[in-house]
Amino acid sequence: MASVLRSSILRHTRVPISTTLTLNESKLIAVRSMSSYGDVHLDKQEVIGRVLDVVKSFPKVDPSKVTPDVHFQKDLGLDSLDNVEIVMALEDEFKLEIPDKEADKIDSCHLAVEYIDNHPMAG
Amino acid sequence: MSVASVSYLARRAAQKERVRILYRRALKDTLNWAVHRHLFNPDADALREKFEANRNVDDIETIDRMIAAGEATYNKWQHPDPYIVPWAPGGSMVCRNPTPPEGIEIIYDYGREDTA
Repeated sequence: MASVLRSSILRHTRVPISTTLTLNESKLIAVRSMSSYGDVHLDKQEVIGRVLDVVKSFPKVDPSKVTPDVHFQKDLGLDSLDNVEIVMALEDEFKLEIPDKEADKIDSCHLAVEYIDNHPMAG
Repeated sequence: MSVASVSYLARRAAQKERVRILYRRALKDTLNWAVHRHLFNPDADALREKFEANRNVDDIETIDRMIAAGEATYNKWQHPDPYIVPWAPGGSMVCRNPTPPEGIEIIYDYGREDTA
């Protein structure tokens, strides 16, 4: 008896998989992504802000010269080893793991922002 | 040796790239061994001094030998359990939660029965 009642109730309230709930005529999107791979992408302005903060806090850099277009070796007068240190600091900041060959090519703020922006796992 | 031929410049450029990659790996290794920043910072400075001491060497064969020696030292000092970012190959979260196939969703209606 209880099971018949239960199955009749369930038959009425079974929601088909394709529709979403509507509450007060507004679509309630009650779907949560289940993957742990970066589905949250960073805002480009936020990326630029954080990259500039990392570069400005480098001790050998003059903070007033740092702009989003600055080249580490030509404009800021840094060394290639300093370049390596900055790329490592960026890896720490955004929790990335950049392969060695790619990290060697990151030479300016612009390239760094572009790489981080296009990286799916930038945190 | 002052002939700036293309092969000489190409060889120097390759050496510079090896030095940069070696410095990068050595720095990461130093961070693996000295986990806390207050221990890492003096060690990183010492590593930088070692690289700076050989900055002005010009003879290409000597540079090759020094790079080989540096890489041998690096290989000897490698940490057995390096820190790898979780989602990178070798990390702790690789393949843990793969993305579900397209078109599958969970409707969170929390057992509500009054769906119109």
